[in-house]
Amino acid sequence: MCVGTGLCFLGLLCLYRGIFGPTVLNRMAGISAIGTKTLVLLMVMGFIYNRVDMFVDISVVYALLNFVGSLAAAKYLEMRGEV
Amino acid sequence: MTRSTDDIIIKTVSRVLVPFIQLFALYVIMHGHSSPGGGFQGGVILGASFILLVITYGLDQTKRRMSEKADAIFSSVGLLIYAGIGALCLILGGNYLNYGELSKILPVGLAEARALGILGIEIGVGIAVMAVMFSIFLDVSTGGLPPSDNSEEGP
Repeated sequence: MCVGTGLCFLGLLCLYRGIFGPTVLNRMAGISAIGTKTLVLLMVMGFIYNRVDMFVDISVVYALLNFVGSLAAAKYLEMRGEV
Repeated sequence: MTRSTDDIIIKTVSRVLVPFIQLFALYVIMHGHSSPGGGFQGGVILGASFILLVITYGLDQTKRRMSEKADAIFSSVGLLIYAGIGALCLILGGNYLNYGELSKILPVGLAEARALGILGIEIGVGIAVMAVMFSIFLDVSTGGLPPSDNSEEGP
């Protein structure tokens, strides 16, 4: 439970970087870090509810979609010539 | 968006990752009744693997594995599996999608026929969702241009 609360706090810090980030790259890094923290948070929820086998599936899918999403965003920014 | 990237890290990672993504998508579809997931979620993961291929290897190389024609065929086949199983139950004398009636033509009991019917429905939904996701991504990323103009896309 303490770990989950700490992860939420760190996620808020990353959200600050995502909203007020000076450049686009800072924002993207912040959003990716929030995704990774959510992944660990899902696993902590699995340990709390004693259903780790189910939450592993969800967190694997979340990691995969986070990866594909950040890659697509990077490709889009490269195409726009903003990086 | 649809051109091939020249970064070797991204290319290698996605080449290694795509088969595992597709295997995991099949796992999600097959275990939809006993764990989180199901036809739609597995189809989305399967579509994400093809979207990853387009992002990293470009549209032309992906079309060699999954052309737009095959995509349209897949979406129609998925819908046909779904509606066909439902209509088969209707023909056999039950309600639409009442899988218990499938035990009349399959050599299994009532409960097993229900499980097999649900599995068939989920496979159909998965195929249809995968094809529709991929075709939506293709249409959005190429701006709806006809396929012959796609190679010159980009700045």
